[in-house]
Amino acid sequence: MSVELPRTMRASAAEARRPAEPPTPGRAGGEAARASRGAAAEVAVDCRGLVKSFAGGAVRALDGVSVAIKANEFFTLLGPSGCGKTTLLRLIAGFETQDAGSVAVYGQLLDGLPPFRRPVNTVFQSYAVFPHLTVEENIAFGLEMQRRSRREIDARVAEMLALVKLEGMEKRKPAQLSGGQQQRVALARALATAPRVLLLDEPLSALDLKLRTDMQLELKRLQAEVGITFVFVTHDQHEALTMSDRIAVMNRGKILQIGTPEEIYERPAARFVADFIGETNLLPATRIGERRFRLASGEELETAEPGAAGEALTLAIRPERASLAPPGDPGLAGIVEQIVYEGTDTTYHVLIAGGLRLRLREQNREGSRPRVGTGERVAVALPAAAIRVLAE
Amino acid sequence: MRAEARRIGLLAPAMLTIGVLLVVPLGLMAIISTLARGPSGGIIWGQHSLDAYVQFLFERDLMDRLALNTDYLRIFARSIGLAATTTALTLLIGFPTALWMAFQPPSRRTLLVFIVTVPFWTNLLVRNYAWILLLRDGGVIDWTLLKLGLTSRPIGIMYTPLATAIGLVYSFLPYMILPIYVSLEKIDRRLIEAAYDLGADRRRALFRVILPLAMPGLVGGAILVFVPGLGAFITPELLGGAKSMMVGSLIQQQFGQARNWPFGAALAFVLLALVLLALMAHALRYRRGAKPA
Repeated sequence: MSVELPRTMRASAAEARRPAEPPTPGRAGGEAARASRGAAAEVAVDCRGLVKSFAGGAVRALDGVSVAIKANEFFTLLGPSGCGKTTLLRLIAGFETQDAGSVAVYGQLLDGLPPFRRPVNTVFQSYAVFPHLTVEENIAFGLEMQRRSRREIDARVAEMLALVKLEGMEKRKPAQLSGGQQQRVALARALATAPRVLLLDEPLSALDLKLRTDMQLELKRLQAEVGITFVFVTHDQHEALTMSDRIAVMNRGKILQIGTPEEIYERPAARFVADFIGETNLLPATRIGERRFRLASGEELETAEPGAAGEALTLAIRPERASLAPPGDPGLAGIVEQIVYEGTDTTYHVLIAGGLRLRLREQNREGSRPRVGTGERVAVALPAAAIRVLAE
Repeated sequence: MRAEARRIGLLAPAMLTIGVLLVVPLGLMAIISTLARGPSGGIIWGQHSLDAYVQFLFERDLMDRLALNTDYLRIFARSIGLAATTTALTLLIGFPTALWMAFQPPSRRTLLVFIVTVPFWTNLLVRNYAWILLLRDGGVIDWTLLKLGLTSRPIGIMYTPLATAIGLVYSFLPYMILPIYVSLEKIDRRLIEAAYDLGADRRRALFRVILPLAMPGLVGGAILVFVPGLGAFITPELLGGAKSMMVGSLIQQQFGQARNWPFGAALAFVLLALVLLALMAHALRYRRGAKPA
């Protein structure tokens, strides 16, 4: 997976979010947009100590989950399948009832309320567009349930059709639409009643790659336009990094880390997070000083921060943050085992002492050629600031 | 040429089955209905007459003039009314039952479907006799009500249209429940969740989402009950008695005691025409509904 791609996409997503602003090159635009967004700190969804078991307690889907999702934020629940992210979403929507804990939306406690009395709407993984209704009838459904006037409904439906770019498809039945179009009907339907929070359950997973990339940007654009809180569930880390203001990484019913995409990627708080988000090199190590560690091979490394407490730890470093140096330079000595050309990047697999393999990634530039060949001795330079110290 | 022969060869079994079981008997009936009636029953081949169809609407008075006779029309109307009532009642009972069944855990659903089909194991005649034991004066229901002091007189249900309706509803209920159940079971549960999510309470989720999606099952069940209900003759005969004759009994009588085959065949054809008209009307409406507006 390319590392450059998310950055550029994130920047363009930030531009899409602020259409009025002149495009800011690089990452600064993204940072600025995110910072100003973070300033509005009102809590939209407040989950406290949520516990949910299935199969008579045999399967613990949520194991004490607390999270405060801010107003107007694009918040992503990220984790492998079975980590509890969908269960958390269904608890907020009201399709499941928690065993313990509480859910509040904008200060209103939702416990015990059926789904139809909650100020949240859901976009389902399989779209769940009503097959017997036309596009406009689908979009009007929620408004009709609220007994809005016909004129208001018609106006709102037209507005929604324009928002999701489905003008001219009003009278079609879902069976006559492509997957991406159905997805947009589902979105328009959920947004029509202007819910305070929109829950999205892997809404893009059924689309092909090209369409998914388009829809990712479109979702960001929509969220900026309608200005409501999105709670987005995905198992796709790239999708999460690209779209989110903040991400909660989940595993086995627990939230391991909550942070911005940068924080999650650059400063993973747990070994699982480092391993699940992007590629990472993990080195078992023992602490010998506050910021000094010894690897199994006896070589020592210095880090910029003390990191996690304890003696036996794991050092994590991203492939693109390590670099190749001539043998004898500071770093870990190793032998280049394999060089893989990947278009934008080249990945070097380096065997180091103790039988461990490190991956290094360098971006390909015009005229640049691999400086080393397979079988050559090299040193792998690991900048102290790029090494994360994680608990085993 | 060989492909053509192959096509015909492959179609032959189906065509033969339809031909032997449907076209030939119907053709025979059509011919019989236009033949003259034999002096002691049966028919006279080669002697054509439209008497049978005339007899359906008219009778000859003393002066040998044709006068309108509504007896048979009334029997038809009564039969249609009874079949419609049966359909409505089975719908009213069958839909909630099927709905409840479809929302049970999968393992229990299989058992429930099995239970619904249990009555098919016994002969229809036997089941109707069982209803006689239940419904007649001094029967199980009558006796229980009397003992409980809820009635002081015999209930007198037996040999009334009510008894026929009870018997028909009972006999046809599985034909209503099963198709509805199948269409309900197929509904994606997330569609119902989506309805709740968008603010529909249980009642509106039922009427706006579940019911429209189950419509093919409802229509299928209604056809499966209405059409055979129209021609039913065992249940009306046994439970309804001779007082209120139904089309089924009438036709059966013409081929039996009355020995008027042409008239029996003509009645059967009028019935067939009515059923086909009803089905066609439905098919037309359905096609129009399916077309994109």
